Amino acid sequence: MASSQPLIQVKNLDLYFGSFHALKNVSVDFRAGELVGLVGDNGAGKTTLIRVLCGLHAPTSGEVYFDGARVTTFHPKLAIDFGIETIQQSVGLCDNLSIARNFYLGREPVKRILGIPFLDFRVMRDMSAKVIRQFGLRDNVSVDDEVERLSGGERQSVKIGRAVEFKNRVVIMDEPTNHLSVREREHVNELAVQLKEQGLLVIYITHDIFQVHKLADRIVIMENGEVVKDARTTEMSAEALEEVIRHGGRVVEKRSAK
Amino acid sequence: MARLAVKPLVRRHSEIGIFLIGAILVVYFSATSGGYWANLYNFGTIMQQTSTMGLMVIGLALVITTGEIDISVGSTFGIGALVYLWLALRVDPVLAALCATAVGAAIGTFNGVLVTRTNTPSLIITLGSLMIFRGLAIALTSGFAFSIPYKQRGAFSYWLLGGDTLLGFNTALIWLVVALIIFSAMLRLMPWGNRLLAVGGSSDSALSRGVRVDRIKLSAFILCGALSAFGGVLEAGKLGSADGSMGRLMELQAIASCVLGGTLLAGGRVSLIGALAGAFVLSSIQSYLVVMGVAPQWFMVLLGVIVVAAALGDRSLQQWALRK
Repeated sequence: MASSQPLIQVKNLDLYFGSFHALKNVSVDFRAGELVGLVGDNGAGKTTLIRVLCGLHAPTSGEVYFDGARVTTFHPKLAIDFGIETIQQSVGLCDNLSIARNFYLGREPVKRILGIPFLDFRVMRDMSAKVIRQFGLRDNVSVDDEVERLSGGERQSVKIGRAVEFKNRVVIMDEPTNHLSVREREHVNELAVQLKEQGLLVIYITHDIFQVHKLADRIVIMENGEVVKDARTTEMSAEALEEVIRHGGRVVEKRSAK
Repeated sequence: MARLAVKPLVRRHSEIGIFLIGAILVVYFSATSGGYWANLYNFGTIMQQTSTMGLMVIGLALVITTGEIDISVGSTFGIGALVYLWLALRVDPVLAALCATAVGAAIGTFNGVLVTRTNTPSLIITLGSLMIFRGLAIALTSGFAFSIPYKQRGAFSYWLLGGDTLLGFNTALIWLVVALIIFSAMLRLMPWGNRLLAVGGSSDSALSRGVRVDRIKLSAFILCGALSAFGGVLEAGKLGSADGSMGRLMELQAIASCVLGGTLLAGGRVSLIGALAGAFVLSSIQSYLVVMGVAPQWFMVLLGVIVVAAALGDRSLQQWALRK
């Protein structure tokens, strides 16, 4: 059950890249125990919004609250410390490192010898092996293999496995089912629901309104950097929402053109 | 079957190429120099040069691993030597070496802060500091050399800082071996190394995992400056004197050593032992030209030819290894 106090609160957020207005006065709340579908066309600002939430971009103006406290500095390290795990589309894995090293990048487990921190390879290998097996990586893939060797689906599985392993309070998934087979896709969608049921906030970004409508409690639709619709899935059908995406903010323009 | 086993080895160890080149050159130089090249004394000289340059090469390799470059290392080397020589007689050699290394670290900080804070390409920033610190070195020495009189170099601290030999090898080699062990361990066995490699592999991905990319890059620049200056200290300890041109053009040799040794200029892949093998090969060539009586001007020409040939050879070796 979603709690009433928002875990993440975004208020009047604006973000400019140079003169480009990427996010326009975005206000949206996310609650723990909620699965929110963030939907919209390419360039709608979905990824930009979550890049703010995971600390990669600082907003030009506006406010972000996490668990009631105002966030003033934005860095991925801080977001991770807050308990926000993000599965990004294009980044997240370093090709030149092994799966085990990627898995723990930035939060490496250490064994101290004379106070000097050495990587704890046993923990790194064992944990990442357990997770990648759960996510159905080929048996001939070893955790010591460099990520470069993996297929698109396997890379995605490593990222998802890692986020689930380290899940804390928030899991943000940006197009998590890209590159995945039908079965893997179902698995990821089941996971998203499971995480929500465990009380986490799950933000699920996709193009596919029909896919996410089945899973989500709420759908937030973005277009041209604005939130154009924020509706509960019990209140609006996937078809009605698709109509919003199709016409969105342009509905008014079209009518006046007639 | 044997070839199947070799290929993954070559793929994993990009430094194999330089060891092959080194082995071939050693055989060739030994066979063609009539004993003038292949003798213990000359080998000691080569190792001394390899050692002082090797410290710089390790530092530079760390910076290159992050995807940046530091071409000011030759100037830093010279400044390190001059600071050491200037202070050694006034205070104490060990303290002087520490100060010189600290000045090197400061130059590294200067480079690193400018690169990470302003997002300016490191090639430009360190080209600037290459000229600034070379200029300072020449201006402040105003054409004179700093030196320590030979009879004042008796103390243990002089011996330790490259002034003499142990079992036929200049003590700089000890420092190089220590640095190699420490930095190899940091690179492969510690979180810092994991992050350093990640930053070079994909700085965006490293950042998204919460790695403080700027701090990692800055730390590499600081270490590079400190190691280069310390290399300069040991070279000054050996020679006992230095002028403003000390370390000139060494940055080119250092970059060549790294590349020959299998360090990817784009970042993310490094072999410290390979880079040192590169430094050894370059020192060997230099010494071969000297014992064969070739004018030293030809060194640059040959260096260039070797770098191009080795790069092409290494490329085909890697491509062969990647083919199924």
